[in-house]
Amino acid sequence: MDPAQLQGLPEADQTRMLGMIEAMQARDSLRMYNSLVEKCFDTCVQSFRRKTLEKDEEKCISKCCEKFLKHSSRVSIRFAELNQQQVMEQVGGAAPPS
Amino acid sequence: EQPNTRAEHLNHVHRRRSIMSQQGVEISKMTPEQKELMYTAAATEMDYRVDLFNKMVTGCYEKCIDKKFKDGDLNVGENSCVDRCTAKYWQAVGIVGQMLGAAGPEQPK
Repeated sequence: MDPAQLQGLPEADQTRMLGMIEAMQARDSLRMYNSLVEKCFDTCVQSFRRKTLEKDEEKCISKCCEKFLKHSSRVSIRFAELNQQQVMEQVGGAAPPS
Repeated sequence: EQPNTRAEHLNHVHRRRSIMSQQGVEISKMTPEQKELMYTAAATEMDYRVDLFNKMVTGCYEKCIDKKFKDGDLNVGENSCVDRCTAKYWQAVGIVGQMLGAAGPEQPK
């Protein structure tokens, strides 16, 4: 919840915006959970000799999660930087073509 | 430092000038109807941003990450690839925005 953007607004509006943001974050978290399971299952589990996961399948899934989360984290940083760059360009007056 | 991925990036969703400050009319002077329209626009913009981010993550994951999972960490090559991928993706967003803008009035910001 970034306070800066919401500072100038009346309180009722701030509350409402925060509510919207929170709901969106919750939705997105659940969506990511499901998609990560799908992704890692798809990559790591190929055979069905048994009902339970093999040791290496378990390890694969753990590594898959770890890697994806680190990747997502890195993209998040770059996304913020690129976004910030764009904001600077807009505020600076010379709006970029996009 | 590593931000908490989803939560942190969603902060950045609205760090740019928000729909609210872009309206010509000040919030306190808006009619209830105008306010509702503004909230809808803000929600739409947020959804767009989140979707953009998610697609960027997925796209660059497919293109850059070695699926053999030798290690839980990203190696140097993967890191560079991700950095470049995100920059290129962002540029693509800009170009497509321009193209859509030339084609019709409705365009993502």
